[in-house]
Amino acid sequence: MQKVVENTKKAFLTGNEAAAWAALAAGAEIMFGYPITPQNEIMHYWTRLAPKYGRNFLQTEDEISAGFTVCGAVQAGKKAFTATAGPGNTLMQEPFSMAEAMRLPLVAIIQQRGGPSSGTVIYSQQEVTLTTFGGNGEGHRIVYSTSSHQEIYDYIIKAFNTAWKYRFPTFVLGDGYQAKMREPLEMYDPEERGIELVKTFPLVGLEGKIGEEREPQHLCNIYSMEEELYEVVMKFAAEYEAISPEVVEYEEKECEDAEILILAHGVVSRAADDAVKALRAQGIKAGYFRPITLRPFPGKQLREAIAKSGAKKMLIAESAYGQFDRLVKQEIYGETIQINNLFMPGVGIIDTDIISKVKSIID
Amino acid sequence: MLEVLKFTAEDRARIVEAFIGEYASGKSEIAINRAVEIKRKGRTVTIVDLDTVEPFYTLRPLKNRLQELGLNVISYSKSDTFGLGETGAMLNPQAKWALMNEGDIILDVGYGVYGAQTLNLVEGAYESPYLRIIAVVNYTRPMTNSLSRIKEYIKELGRVDAIVANTHLGDDTTPDLIRKGNKVIIKAAIELGLPVDYMAVDKKFFEIEDFSDLGVKVKFIERYMPAAMW
Repeated sequence: MQKVVENTKKAFLTGNEAAAWAALAAGAEIMFGYPITPQNEIMHYWTRLAPKYGRNFLQTEDEISAGFTVCGAVQAGKKAFTATAGPGNTLMQEPFSMAEAMRLPLVAIIQQRGGPSSGTVIYSQQEVTLTTFGGNGEGHRIVYSTSSHQEIYDYIIKAFNTAWKYRFPTFVLGDGYQAKMREPLEMYDPEERGIELVKTFPLVGLEGKIGEEREPQHLCNIYSMEEELYEVVMKFAAEYEAISPEVVEYEEKECEDAEILILAHGVVSRAADDAVKALRAQGIKAGYFRPITLRPFPGKQLREAIAKSGAKKMLIAESAYGQFDRLVKQEIYGETIQINNLFMPGVGIIDTDIISKVKSIID
Repeated sequence: MLEVLKFTAEDRARIVEAFIGEYASGKSEIAINRAVEIKRKGRTVTIVDLDTVEPFYTLRPLKNRLQELGLNVISYSKSDTFGLGETGAMLNPQAKWALMNEGDIILDVGYGVYGAQTLNLVEGAYESPYLRIIAVVNYTRPMTNSLSRIKEYIKELGRVDAIVANTHLGDDTTPDLIRKGNKVIIKAAIELGLPVDYMAVDKKFFEIEDFSDLGVKVKFIERYMPAAMW
């Protein structure tokens, strides 16, 4: 496969372009998609670049088909992905559930937009519930929530590896701000960085006689008996829990002596990081905790941060009305830390929003 | 700094400039700086947000600030957008008739994919003898990061009358990078037979770095776009 990035260098990009380049650098062979803002330029750039690097693209008739065609392509052993947002993410829940059921290494990039329904075209963090636990399953998915263009690039490369290594559908959760914003990042060839690209393999049409030379492949999304399904789901749950410790990622700053912990994810964590620095400069002991994986969630690490800081208060900030908050609460059930919220559904949160909220809490 | 308006033929002529170029090349930043520059000469200036794909975003967050600088701004306001939803593509009627405004017109041709084609939506643009179509090029953009890619890209744009060299990396810009990137852009312009109107450099480098060795005019610009948070 032709090298995409010859020399590592810094480039000035939008997040959507970074996503397209990262998928190319990760060796993705085909994108299936249907247009929706704010992810459109992932498709635009992929379609401009793909022919130059011998890759493929198919625009399907809708998002349901885009999701299912990814399900089909990965079964054929192709490194395939899609990208969507908002109502497109809603429609894709059916194929995403199928990927959960059949343990397909599907990769989807989600650039969250406002909701409910078509909402607004650019920004929110309102697709957290949908992306982590959408669909009629148990949320056996891996979800990376990025906060910068560099992370979009890094985690898309990682997402393909994660998906093909563990065979759980894997998501890179961005948002319209990250999609449209311009900032520098370092584009690199993953293999030159020592990142081994996990090899893809077909799940169907395998060599060898079933029963004699190999076991049959059970790629199943429907079972005749409840007990049969029960066994499968319990097996998936056990496998998901077993891999979780090695998949979990988080970022923590200044928690050792914090009186108040500020929790945020995605682009809002940049505001939280700035807020913690500003509050510290004013003598307020604030700490920062950011899950990078929303599924699986770094619950153990968050409990440890609460314990070691001895913080009595926590602020959860998000551009949604409690979706991230619910994820946090279910993970720290039993903790007695006081939880406060800064919910700003569909609008951006900046450092001063967090700083004023923190001051109103601690006074 | 107010430059005195001279009654030369050049200064009396109307300025109609359309900034085009790759998505995120710096069109809006260069367009705003150009509008402010000529406004400071005491001229009447209208700046037009001609982004037909995302018509409510590019200049809208900066509209008040630009109006305070004395510019006539053709761009949507929050109150104008109610009920329009996700239109796919739409044209602000004021933008369509922008050339009917008195004075100079700066067109920020958004989104980049269609180059100067979008100008066919502005009544009289192509017929205007004053129209100059200026391509903004940033060497750190992957689609324009080599001599051959820049040339290939400019050729795809259709009519281009001049180039603005705009190599930067946001906050990570260094003088070396500006020099390296703009040299390539200037070479591409020479090979394409196009003038480089100037190179745009963040004003933080003013009096720190001299770029006169590159042989083109240098304009030190203010960065307005980082404040354009939606």
